[in-house]
Amino acid sequence: MADEQDHRIEGKITRAQFPLPDVTWPATAEFWAGAAREELLIPRCDGCGRFRWYPKPECPACAAEPYSWVPVSGRGTLFSWVVVTHPFLPQFADLVPFVPALVALDEDPGVRLPTRMVDCDPGALTFDLPVTVTFRPIAFAGVDGSVPAPMFVPA
Amino acid sequence: MTTEPGSWGYASDFDDITGQVAICGVGDSDMSKASGRTTQQIVGQAVERALEDAGLEPRDVDGLMYVGMPEQFDVAAFHEHFGTDHDIWESRRGGGMTGAATAPYYAAEALRTGRARYVLNTFGVAWATQRGEMTGGPGETHAQDLFKQNLEIPFGWFPQPVYFATIARRHMHEFGTTEEQLGAIAVACRRHANLNPAAVMHEKPLTLERYLASPKFVDPFRKEDCCLISDGGGAYIMTTPERAADAPKPPALVAGVGLGHASTGTHWAQQPAFTSTPAVFSAPAAFRMAGITPADVDLFTCYDPFTIVTLMQIEDSGFCEKGAGGEFVAGDTLHFDSGKLAHNTHGGMLSHAYVLGISHVVEVVRQLRGEGTAPVADCEIGVYGGYTGPQCSTLVLRRG
Ligand SMILES: [Zn+2]
Repeated sequence: MADEQDHRIEGKITRAQFPLPDVTWPATAEFWAGAAREELLIPRCDGCGRFRWYPKPECPACAAEPYSWVPVSGRGTLFSWVVVTHPFLPQFADLVPFVPALVALDEDPGVRLPTRMVDCDPGALTFDLPVTVTFRPIAFAGVDGSVPAPMFVPA
Repeated sequence: MTTEPGSWGYASDFDDITGQVAICGVGDSDMSKASGRTTQQIVGQAVERALEDAGLEPRDVDGLMYVGMPEQFDVAAFHEHFGTDHDIWESRRGGGMTGAATAPYYAAEALRTGRARYVLNTFGVAWATQRGEMTGGPGETHAQDLFKQNLEIPFGWFPQPVYFATIARRHMHEFGTTEEQLGAIAVACRRHANLNPAAVMHEKPLTLERYLASPKFVDPFRKEDCCLISDGGGAYIMTTPERAADAPKPPALVAGVGLGHASTGTHWAQQPAFTSTPAVFSAPAAFRMAGITPADVDLFTCYDPFTIVTLMQIEDSGFCEKGAGGEFVAGDTLHFDSGKLAHNTHGGMLSHAYVLGISHVVEVVRQLRGEGTAPVADCEIGVYGGYTGPQCSTLVLRRG
C-alpha cells in the first residue's frame, strides 16, 4: 500500500451508537419520531412559513425562533448521488456498495434531504428523477440496534 | 431556490492594504506520509528554513500567526523550539486554509502600527501519523457536528469525498463537465509533483489514461480526484515592503486580499449555489484591491482537496465563465509551461502534500522569485485561493 492513497477517515466516536442518529437530540427528535411512524416531517418556520432545513434555532429568512414539524408528501426529485464502494467508516463495511443521495422535496426543491437511494440500479439513476419515500431501518456493522429512516426509491 | 451570487453569501468589507505588506521569507518542512513527527517538530523545521531564507534570527520574529486548531505553533511552542523568551505579538487569524491568504490582511495593522516588525505565519499537520492513533484528521470536525451526526452521517452521506463527489456529479449535470476534464486537473498537478523532489508523489507519474483506468471508489471520484493525507507544514514571514527590500531574496508584495462567506457553512447539502464556492465573493474583492483582472494572473494556486473544488474555484475566480471550467482545464491549460493558467506548480494537495494551503503560498513566492521546480516563465502575478467550504479567500501577490 506504500504508493496508495488511503481515504479512511477517523472521526472521534462520541456515542456508542454512532453512526446511528441520536433520536433523543432535541433538534431532530421529531424527525426520527415521525420516521418511526412512517411519516416524513420537515420543520416549518412559524414566523414566515418557509421550511427551515436544517432545523436551526433561528430562521435564516425572518430570524424567528419557533417552528413546527409538518408532514410532507414524501415525493421529490433526485438532486445528486454517489455510489460508495469504499467504507469510509468501519461501521459502513456491510453497507457497500450503497448510494447516498440528496433528494429535493416537491413542496420546496430548495429543501434537500440527505438520504439513500434503495431498490434501484445505480447505473439507471438520472438527474431530477422523480422519487418517493420509503422507510427502512438503518443499521451498522458492530453497532447495536437500528433506526427506521426515510430512504427513497424511483417513483 | 436561487443561485444568484449575493443571495447565499457575501464578501468581507476589507480596507485596502496595498503597499503595506511584503513576504520576505518562506520555508516548508519535509513532506511525507506517516513519519512519527509531531506537528511542532514539523512546523519548527519549516520556520528554521523560512528564517534562513529571510536572513533573520529567531529573536527577530516579533509577530506570530497561526490558526486555532490543536498543536499549532503558538508563542510557547516558538520559544520552546528556539530557546528564546522575547515579547511576541500573536494572532490566531493565520495558519493554512483561508488563513494562509488572509494572514497578511491582519498582519498589516501590526506592521503599520509598529507593534511587530517581522510577522511569521505557520501551519502544520501530522495527520498521516495521527491517523493510526484514532485522533485528528479531516473527517473529525465534520463527525462532531450534531446536524451531520443526526441528518447526514446515518445515511452514509459522509465524509468529504462523498460530499464533493455529490457536488461533482451535479456539476457534470448542470454544465456537461466530464471525468476526463477532472482528470486533466489531477494530471497537471501530478506532472508538477514529478518535477518537485519535495512532493510526496514525486516518483509516481500519472497519465490521463491511467487516471481513467483507476477504479471509482466513490463514483464519480477516483482516488486521484482526492488529496493526500500527509505530515508537513510551512511558514512565511511578513514585513513592510521597505524592510523587505533589504532581505536577501526579492520580496513578494501583497497586492490584494479578499474573504468570501457561504451562509450555509459546512452543510453543503443545503448550499443554494450547490456547484459554486465563496470564491465568487473573495476573488473579485481581491482583484479589485490589486487593480488586476483574472487575465493578468500568471499563476493560480488553490486549496485543492478534490479536483472539483479546483474546477469550481477556477470558474468562481473568473478565469472562465461559470460552467465552462471543464473545457477550460482540458488539455494542458494548467501546466506550468502552457503559457495559459499555470496551476499548483508544486503539485498541490493532490500530489505535493496535504498541508492545507500553506505550501501554496510558499510556492507562489518561489515562482515570483524564479525559484519554482516547474518554473512559470516571467511570473509577475501569482494568486492563492483558500477554501474551507464556508469560506474562500483570495491572495494576490506581485513580484517585488
Ligand atoms: Zn422564518
